[in-house]
Amino acid sequence: MSAPTEQSIVAGGTEASPSGGARFAPRARTRAERRRRVRPTVLLSWIVIAVAVAWAIAPGVFAPADPVAGNAADALQAPGAAHWFGTDATGRDMYSRVVHGAIHSLSGALIAVSVGLVVGTVLGVVAGAVDGVVSEAIMRLVDVLLAIPQLLLMLSIIIILGFGTAQAAVAVGITSIAAFARLARSEVVRVRRSDYVEAAYASGGRRVAVLVRHVLPNSLTAVVALAALQFGTAILLISTLGFLGYGAPPPTPEWGLMIAEGRNYVATSWWLTTLPGLVVVAVVISANRISSALNDRDRR
Amino acid sequence: MRYVLGRVAQAALVLLIAFTAAFVLLQAMPGDAIMIKFQNPELGLSPEQIARIRESYGADVPLVAQYGHTLLGFLGGDFGYSVVSGTPVSRLIADALPNTLVLALSGFVLAVVVAVALAVTATLSRFAWLGTALRALPSLFVSVPVFWLGIMLVQLFSFQLGLVSVINPGPIEGLILPVLTLAVPISAPLAQILLRSFDEIGAQPFVAVVRARGAGAGWVLGRNVLRNALLPTLTMAGLLFGELIGGAVVTETVFGRAGIGRITEQAVSQQDTPVLQAVVLLSALVFVVINLVVDLLYPVLDPRLRSTVRGRKAVSA
Amino acid sequence: MSRITRPLGATAAVIAASLVLMGCSSAEPSGEGAAAGEPVVGGTLQYLEHQAHTSLYPPAGGFYPNGGILNNITDRLVYQNPETLEFEPWLAESWESNDDATEYTFHLRDDVTFSDGTPLDAQVVADNFDLYGLGDQDRALTVSEAINNYDSSEVVDDSTVVFRFSAPSPGFLQATSTINSGIVAESTLELDLEGYGPGNSDAVVGTGPFTVGDEEIGASLTLDAREDYAWAPESWDNQGRPYVDAVQITVTPEDSVRVGALLAGQADVIRYVEAQDEPQLAVDGFSIYAPQTNGVNNSLSLRFRNPLLEDIRVRQALLAGIDRQEVVDTIYTDNYPLATSVLSSTALGYLDESDALGFDPERAEELLDEAGWTVGSDGIREKDGERLTLVVNEAAPQPRSFEALTLISQQLAKVGVDLQILKADAGSYAEAILDADQVQLYHSMVGRADLDVIKSQYYSSNRNTLLNWDSSDDSIGDAKLEELLEAVSTEADPDKRVEASQAVQRYLIEQAYVIPLFEEPQVYGASDAVHGLGFESVARPSFAQTWVQR
Repeated sequence: MSAPTEQSIVAGGTEASPSGGARFAPRARTRAERRRRVRPTVLLSWIVIAVAVAWAIAPGVFAPADPVAGNAADALQAPGAAHWFGTDATGRDMYSRVVHGAIHSLSGALIAVSVGLVVGTVLGVVAGAVDGVVSEAIMRLVDVLLAIPQLLLMLSIIIILGFGTAQAAVAVGITSIAAFARLARSEVVRVRRSDYVEAAYASGGRRVAVLVRHVLPNSLTAVVALAALQFGTAILLISTLGFLGYGAPPPTPEWGLMIAEGRNYVATSWWLTTLPGLVVVAVVISANRISSALNDRDRR
Repeated sequence: MRYVLGRVAQAALVLLIAFTAAFVLLQAMPGDAIMIKFQNPELGLSPEQIARIRESYGADVPLVAQYGHTLLGFLGGDFGYSVVSGTPVSRLIADALPNTLVLALSGFVLAVVVAVALAVTATLSRFAWLGTALRALPSLFVSVPVFWLGIMLVQLFSFQLGLVSVINPGPIEGLILPVLTLAVPISAPLAQILLRSFDEIGAQPFVAVVRARGAGAGWVLGRNVLRNALLPTLTMAGLLFGELIGGAVVTETVFGRAGIGRITEQAVSQQDTPVLQAVVLLSALVFVVINLVVDLLYPVLDPRLRSTVRGRKAVSA
Repeated sequence: MSRITRPLGATAAVIAASLVLMGCSSAEPSGEGAAAGEPVVGGTLQYLEHQAHTSLYPPAGGFYPNGGILNNITDRLVYQNPETLEFEPWLAESWESNDDATEYTFHLRDDVTFSDGTPLDAQVVADNFDLYGLGDQDRALTVSEAINNYDSSEVVDDSTVVFRFSAPSPGFLQATSTINSGIVAESTLELDLEGYGPGNSDAVVGTGPFTVGDEEIGASLTLDAREDYAWAPESWDNQGRPYVDAVQITVTPEDSVRVGALLAGQADVIRYVEAQDEPQLAVDGFSIYAPQTNGVNNSLSLRFRNPLLEDIRVRQALLAGIDRQEVVDTIYTDNYPLATSVLSSTALGYLDESDALGFDPERAEELLDEAGWTVGSDGIREKDGERLTLVVNEAAPQPRSFEALTLISQQLAKVGVDLQILKADAGSYAEAILDADQVQLYHSMVGRADLDVIKSQYYSSNRNTLLNWDSSDDSIGDAKLEELLEAVSTEADPDKRVEASQAVQRYLIEQAYVIPLFEEPQVYGASDAVHGLGFESVARPSFAQTWVQR
């Protein structure tokens, strides 16, 4: 897809940077400085995500109007007191559609991240924990995942699995396996080579035990940060699939689908694509912000 | 030298597996292009007639034989014909590739320029607020759906302001908006990696020493930091550029440009297997070559690595 | 032998007035008075297509992007006037047929040349129809859907050619006027399917007012005017070369960009304006053209051989349970008239069946009760433990198919029928629509301005949309329907042929085999600077008489 996202930073930047120096460089900024610079935006990000999750859990509380049935007489009304986000061509309340759409978009992103996280991390940890042929084989497979165009991979998977929100999410998830696998592997390798793990081995710890007790916990923060990042990316990719006609079937009030459907009205009814678009941007930015905050904390 | 040969062999292996994986993936799809095209009720063909067409396309032989045949054909440079349009695949790719290359290269160059400008300004700025604002920009850049960005740019710059034309534009004019659309999301990760490198390297003791001797901040960045930040950026670039080649579909669709992305999308929906195999091979080749080059360049760019090259295993293909 | 140019009956006259509907009242071309005078020669017309073309093999002209090009680069033996639907001379000066319509003789003009310089003669015309009538399996070139019972050709002299048929083929004259029968040069006839493909379009050589110029596969194609074009049909205002120098066809899949480019003055004509975009063009300086396709209406075919639809009462209940008027009002615009028969009211042989097509949900419920389908706990009817769940395909080529079907599914839910919409990839779709167990209601339409059109849609060896013919055991479910359809395509007497078509229309509604929805147009948008934009009888654009007043 043409939105190569930050996943690649983590995937490429750490894994393939043989110097490894960047990550361990001492930092000049004091903790106090860092806290002052970071905190308010991170807090705001958490609030945005919390609101989105609340919408997903109890949409009726926030928007009582029916998101699917519309009143044709109210079609294409600009945002106002009656309809905060305006109405669409069939008179459906856009605010209500956005609120009720949260569950579809968030659960889609969640499925996508879970697929990538679980499969990718398992592959990566195994590849990092063992050396030799197995590790090489896994990493070459991961390369193959990266070598096939992301779009082609996603569309093929959707065609095989069938159309639908969950299927699209799985397809997006599969394309993110490579990023998780590369990161997990490099993290495991890094921790394995650190002094205290070497010490644990030296003091007679068994391989698996050391891996579980020392390596994994110390590798996970970066993976969780990637998951947060990937959460935002997944929302974008699912919306792009909607644009190409492979996403959630209408009239599902999925955010990506709403942006895609509203684009035909850009010139006349700006709110149809702009407001759901802003909601998506807010959620994705928040996910990114949380992701980089996690990364920073990891590095302190 | 042995290291180089090993890396090349690995790259070839990745190519072969990608080709095979794509074959399996495409065969797993329900139906096939011949069915989609000729089983159309409009044509009113009987099952016997369709069976005969299937035979003439060589689609009635066992999958293993088809795989061998396709692989041999590709090795010999014969990519076959598109089932949907009948056009030779080599012709389709040859026509579309220059468009995509120009778009991807320009988009990439612009992204690098934007990323460097943004990172340098944010790092050197005397105003804290400017630095903070610029640091927030990359997050915004990657949070906007690309198709939406493209449509907004078209609406604003072409339809409202009338600055550029999207229908039959001149060769340069036609690139402006698509390149911008493509560059925005790519510049973000590049900028973030640069910013991170600047911060980290700028904090190292030797920089403080150099600065204490009276060197300007710009000089420090230019001499030391930029060179050190080059490596991760290059790696990143390899990954991104690979994605660009096959991934410009959204931009191409919005702006009605011919290109590999459009071909891919249409071929997937029609299950035009010969075209898809060629696209996979092409994109895998680009991916493998760029990564190989990046890997081989590392020791050249970073003297510290020369001694450790042979011991490296952690490098990606 | 009798001349075949006979009056076609009262229907044709009605059509004339209603053919080109102007979309919106505010779209009346305002500058028309001043500008409509002298045609302007020169300039390039910017035409935006919705999809890329796939082949220029004339029998593949049914796909709109293909047909839009073919209609301008090839001429036909006979011209069907899109307003009267009557036939006029074109490449053939005159023609005759025998009484049982098994033999047609055409007398050709002697001054026509192909754009490669070769002359048009009886031999090349004979070769054209030998290919279109018989196909060529080895080259994967299929038979033209428009031609029935073709047997052979005979070249009598340089300008006379005879075609013979194994059975009466009264639709053949109209078939020679369709895009699927565009006449191409000998060099083109030798091409295989690959040769007609994109990237090789300039190898397709015709006698038409335009030739294919530059082509960028999947993105654009230029039609260049032929300076020496001098054999236009008599009813054209422009008897010479096209007014414009060239037509630049640009593929612009994105709806908002097509509409926006037209409004911003970057394009002159755009194809495929979706119903929801029409209001944007309802402003000064722009017009909507909605030529009708004059064939079988946009409709649902009920696969009556499926156990769920075997009972006529169930089918009648579906017909009565769908509020077609609401569908048209909610999803479409005034350019999409409510269907009143299986055929469009502008089609030849149309029979008004609106009395039998009323919306009556109570009657629908009664019928379903009688048929033994009782309402279950969730409101969906059941019988012997089986739910009344039906599947309809989303027809991607038809405008707003998914939205219309969604509304229909909501309407049917109120009478206890669960209607699922099949939205699938092309492979699964191609398989599913041919299987009555997977798709019970088939959404489609077909445009062709001949009585044969109804046979094309429903006959076993044509589109077979009702799946009356089961390919698995080669059986026919309703032999009477087959007979009625055969009569349409073999009855030589024109009046009896119209009666035969009307018998089919009556029977299809009586048996509730078909639920017609609306009369499908092709909707184009154009700037008012464009004049003389024409459409052939199934709404493909014709640029020979078009000029642009900049």
